[in-house]
Amino acid sequence: MNALGARLGGRFEIDEWGYDDGLATLVDPVLGLLLRVEAEGFDTLPAEGPVLLVANRRLGLAEPAVLARAVRRDAGRGLRFLGIPDVAPVGPALRRLGGAVERPEELAGLLRAGYVVAVFAARMWARGRVGAIPPELLAPASRLGVPAWPVALVGGELSGRWRVAAAAPAPAAAATVHERLEALLDRLAPARWLLG
Amino acid sequence: MRVLVTGAGGALGTRVVQLLLAEASIEELVGLDADPPRRRLRRATFHRVDPRDMTRVAGIVAGFAPTAVVHLGAYEPGAEAAATTAAARTDAGTRAALESAALVGSLERLVVRSGLEVYGRARGAVTVPDESVAPDPTSPFGRSLLDVEHVAAAAGRRAGAAVACLRLAPVVGPHVPSPLGRWLRLPVVPISLLADPPFAVLHHDDAARALVAALLGGADAVVNVVGRGAVTPFQAARLGSRMPFPVAGPCLRPTSTGGPLWEIVRRAAEVAGSSMPDHLLELLSRGRTADGGRAREVLGVEPAHSTAEVIKALYDWAPVTPLRVRDETAA
Repeated sequence: MNALGARLGGRFEIDEWGYDDGLATLVDPVLGLLLRVEAEGFDTLPAEGPVLLVANRRLGLAEPAVLARAVRRDAGRGLRFLGIPDVAPVGPALRRLGGAVERPEELAGLLRAGYVVAVFAARMWARGRVGAIPPELLAPASRLGVPAWPVALVGGELSGRWRVAAAAPAPAAAATVHERLEALLDRLAPARWLLG
Repeated sequence: MRVLVTGAGGALGTRVVQLLLAEASIEELVGLDADPPRRRLRRATFHRVDPRDMTRVAGIVAGFAPTAVVHLGAYEPGAEAAATTAAARTDAGTRAALESAALVGSLERLVVRSGLEVYGRARGAVTVPDESVAPDPTSPFGRSLLDVEHVAAAAGRRAGAAVACLRLAPVVGPHVPSPLGRWLRLPVVPISLLADPPFAVLHHDDAARALVAALLGGADAVVNVVGRGAVTPFQAARLGSRMPFPVAGPCLRPTSTGGPLWEIVRRAAEVAGSSMPDHLLELLSRGRTADGGRAREVLGVEPAHSTAEVIKALYDWAPVTPLRVRDETAA
């Protein structure tokens, strides 16, 4: 009730991107009820400073939430993710939870500010495949010297069961990241059939 | 340095002149504006002139032969003048002052007041732009400011002068007539039902210090100057113990008037003493923030007041009531 009173009184903090860490913290346990996320490799994420995660997606609806859950639970950090629609009321609502539009300049700003940022490959309906990763989207990370962590996600929106794996970081060249992400996704293949 | 300050009669201009007069390197200072300055300025000469009187403005500038110009003559629609008057003053005053200053031949430094409105908020635009993002204004004020930047760049090239364009977040201060400030201080604050986006503001004292630092340091760059952090319209209204009034207007196009409901709200607000120019509606429905990290590096200063501090203080300041000037003709 105190949290609700503070929110109704305007006593909460948001940043320039519209991210509301208090709200994201409140939403996290709800995500925990809706999604069963089994994650590996996130406990080695740096405790501070910029981090770039490059992940695959199918529909792209649950993947940001799954990744946010894994990052908050295992690394204790909030997640920013690119690719939200810039249309009210969906866009502004997702911005409260870490969303940002998919633009290289937006990625550059978030990395300069030292956040954990997830970008997604193009949607790929076929299981086990990784969509295209636009090289220009990752260019700011290369320029800033921020490596990319390939992150493979396997699961289903209906079952709510997800398996997520992060591989060691490497220079953020789109072709290399794509290759490593496909290999990582292949490694999760048994889980793919189990969870799908 | 012989400094010309345009827009010296406004709250920001008066503060800039006060700060400049405290500097030993300023040999002579001349101010121009349609309205008289807010404070007595002892070491400065002030010319009360309508910026639309281009011949007279050009004559004053040519006669003074400044080595530096601080151009604050970018008038915000709905602040002190209506939208059309503000745009005409900005356009004519900018061309007359800057082109004359460039032609005189003594110009070395030029500092221009611009604003975050130049970035616009088109669909899919970068929400926190830094200076590398190409301007794409989506409001008349934004286009007016971008035009000022272009004229300044051309004048700087012609004179071989350093040009600093400071893109300021909406400037709010105890004596600053600001449409945003008036809006947020309405007893009932209309906000968008569909979006509660973040925006940042800048305390007018921080804006003045940044402009002065740009002049004294001879900055030659485009710099965003933004108060730390952000607030949303709902949050701002509640911090002032105001009642937010959600308006279900579509605001589908950032430059639209926002549909019939927003039009009713606009008219009601005008009756209550607050205008709603397009750039204000854009801020309320699409937000307005930017990356101000470069200011410290280029200017050596950063805003002392955060956005939340300025918004909280906004509700403690006395109302700004412009006094009617008895003599309406600029002498």
